Amino acid sequence: MNVEPSRRSLLNGAAALAGAAALSPLLVACGGGGSGNQGGTSSEQGLASALPDHVPSDAVTPDIAPVEGAAGAISPPGFLRYPTERVRTVPEVPGSGGTYTTLTPLWGAVPPADNEHYRAMNEALGATLEMAPSAGANYGTVLPTLTAAERLPDWVQLPGWLNAQASTGRLVGTQLADLTPYLAGDRIRQYPNLAALPTGAWRGGIWQDKLYGIPVHSGTFTLGGMFYHRRDIFEERGIDANEVRSADDLFALGEELTDARAGVWAFEELWPFIDLIFPIEAKFRVVDGRLVHRYEQPEFIEALDWCRRIVDAGLLHPDALTGSHNDDASKARFYAGQSLITADGGGSWNGADADAGRAANPGYRRGCFMPFSADGTSEPRLPLMWTASWYSYLNIKLRPEQIEECLRIANYLAAPYGSQEYTRITFGVEGTHWTEGPDGPRYTEQGTIEAQPGTYVFLANPIAVVSNLGYPQITEDFCAWAAEAVRYAYKPVFWNMNITVPRRLATADAAQAVEDTISEVSRGIQPVSAFQEALGTWKRNGGDELVGWYETEVLDKLGTGQE
Amino acid sequence: MASTLAPGDEPGVTSPARRRGHRRRPVPPENRLTWRIRLRRDRTLILMTLPAIGLLVVFTYLPMLGIVTAFQFYDPLVGIADSEWIGLENFERLFGDPLFWGALENTLYLSAVQLVLYFPIPIMLALLLNSVLNERVRAVIQAVTFLPHFFSWVLVVTIFQQMFGGAGLLNQFLRDHGMGTWDLMTDPDTFALLVTSQVVWKDAGWGIIVFLAALTAINQNLYEAAAVDGAGRWRRMWHVTLPGMRGIIVLMLVLRLGNALSVGFEQLLIQRAGVGHDAADVLDTFAYYYGIGTQDYGYGAAAGIFKSVISLLLLWGANALAHRFGEDGLYRS
Repeated sequence: MNVEPSRRSLLNGAAALAGAAALSPLLVACGGGGSGNQGGTSSEQGLASALPDHVPSDAVTPDIAPVEGAAGAISPPGFLRYPTERVRTVPEVPGSGGTYTTLTPLWGAVPPADNEHYRAMNEALGATLEMAPSAGANYGTVLPTLTAAERLPDWVQLPGWLNAQASTGRLVGTQLADLTPYLAGDRIRQYPNLAALPTGAWRGGIWQDKLYGIPVHSGTFTLGGMFYHRRDIFEERGIDANEVRSADDLFALGEELTDARAGVWAFEELWPFIDLIFPIEAKFRVVDGRLVHRYEQPEFIEALDWCRRIVDAGLLHPDALTGSHNDDASKARFYAGQSLITADGGGSWNGADADAGRAANPGYRRGCFMPFSADGTSEPRLPLMWTASWYSYLNIKLRPEQIEECLRIANYLAAPYGSQEYTRITFGVEGTHWTEGPDGPRYTEQGTIEAQPGTYVFLANPIAVVSNLGYPQITEDFCAWAAEAVRYAYKPVFWNMNITVPRRLATADAAQAVEDTISEVSRGIQPVSAFQEALGTWKRNGGDELVGWYETEVLDKLGTGQE
Repeated sequence: MASTLAPGDEPGVTSPARRRGHRRRPVPPENRLTWRIRLRRDRTLILMTLPAIGLLVVFTYLPMLGIVTAFQFYDPLVGIADSEWIGLENFERLFGDPLFWGALENTLYLSAVQLVLYFPIPIMLALLLNSVLNERVRAVIQAVTFLPHFFSWVLVVTIFQQMFGGAGLLNQFLRDHGMGTWDLMTDPDTFALLVTSQVVWKDAGWGIIVFLAALTAINQNLYEAAAVDGAGRWRRMWHVTLPGMRGIIVLMLVLRLGNALSVGFEQLLIQRAGVGHDAADVLDTFAYYYGIGTQDYGYGAAAGIFKSVISLLLLWGANALAHRFGEDGLYRS
């Protein structure tokens, strides 16, 4: 989790900047399936024959052991310091001299091309990976131009939440290579580091019964976000965050914390992660064998109204109304203590966050609310994101031996945390890019420029762990929180299922007009009735048809994917 | 530009027959030359325009072929040639879409507000600046008013947010004095005023350049003559300055009307979240959000074509009106 940017905030960033239309990062896929415009997904038997075996790795032992929770979720292992004994998991040089072009997103400064880190990596891989990180914020707009011209590189990262924009569902088999013959069943065992990735993650790489995607940033307890608070300020004021057990409690706390004259407001925007407290289900809920769309679940309006009341009561920071969710300005307000409660991804609770917060306020400490439900009485429910929301794909133009070479390289890149290979990929060359510190490798100046911006991780990487070198307290806090929260996890309907909606329903699936209205109601610009009106229009203009399609084509044929 | 500033002043082509309003006039002498001779005479000028024409063809006219997607269920993966033809279906949907009409209404409203509140300001500023005699003061004022033009919209909106936002200077001042607050940045009702004041702040200084140029082109002897005849400041402005600027004012107005449906894409995109799509969507953002954003490219193209057609009509109408009033407009009739 330490390397994972907040998916939702990325999604929101993309929506604001690029106009991404993805309604949900999980399920939306635009365009017809295969050659036609029919859409579709995978069948049970197809899945079973395409899925690779799972062979867990025991190469490294964590300081904080994972905890098993509900719905098969397992909290991530924690490392308080970097393992000193660095095992070698890939005994042979994986490459055989090939050269491959790549495309990956990167948030942050792009390392110089042809730098020492890349050269050392190429040497270790025995092949040349031409790394070409592209600005993350515009990534969704770069992809369609490449796919339309059929000029995808040999190895490309197509994040799940960009599947709609990238039309991934229609690229598989036409521009992206089928990996089933190389990885399905026990064939994956020749790539032990890939075999250690969780089965659910591979499921998300399967399209129409065949395996295409190599999972990246996989985790067995992936949440869209969590509700954070300024723990240092709470403690100073004698507020116990764990006493918040309902939406009313949170609201009351907000009233207590807000002091507009002093320039302090309680909340940043909570709406995008409101599912964490209100029992709304990601896209659908099954009631009596029928699907009820998110918009039509009764709790949806309730949650919308609650967020609206926060705005009306003046508890939301006014600048949050004009910005996009979790933008840099929002984080800056949280660091500066101008807002005290925020909803953000799991990736924002780490050492870098502590550095940024302490720069603004030396006592800065991020805390996380324990899960609670809005009504205060029912059991909290935390919807799991997909096991992996990022996938890398190989170009269909590659020859079989090239695909095998790339998979061997992927196996190297997926080497577990703390291994020799992981150290090389993440930190670079010892002495040049890093030196040994008291808790593990420390980047040199050259290292921060060349190795620290993670580029290879978007092609393949091991399962997420919690590790904040130099900040063991954060790791402990995080793991303690996760160990408790993992008990409330559940799998949303159609979890880890790639579904391609027919093109004629894609507009209804994106539901841009309803989404716009929802965001405006939650920000207090429009009344709740505006949402009901937009919903009515949507239902008439394809919304009902869309739900019907999901029922007959997905639910009735393949079930909910929750087993 | 010089020819539009002072019509009929260029050497060589002046002839009474070229006065406007003459329906039938003798063919000017240059038209009697064969194209071959004219080509030889003008070849340097033609050569100089070639790169610009090349750019125009490559970056404007060739992409324009993409408008056929407005008549298709366009699929970028299949390409323009193989996308399904659906005739006018995109337009039918467009004209039945209340969001589209809302966007059109906003566009026209914002455009009208900006025409009334923004357009005269650079002219007034230019007149004011022209009356400042001290060169240094003038240079400073010009520099200060120019500067915001070079700011990006993100910066401009941020500055406005810092001043007028709910946590901005104005509202914190009001709070400190126990008064009610007004978040200008999230008020859909006053959004048109907000947007216009941003445009004024950012671009009014830049807009005066062309008017200042027009002012310097006015013959100074006219002022002296008027002063000798006893005309005061105001009469000189009314009878000398404004008539001298009329040509350029009309030209700018025509251009403005042609562009009336482009009321600021980036500026509105940034502020859309704050006031909502009902207040902030114009035709450009509509095409972006409901066309490109949802990969409904054909639909977006249809909205774009609609905008272009209306713009063309406005341009043509404004130009015809200018000709009727005896001005040059975009070109000489």
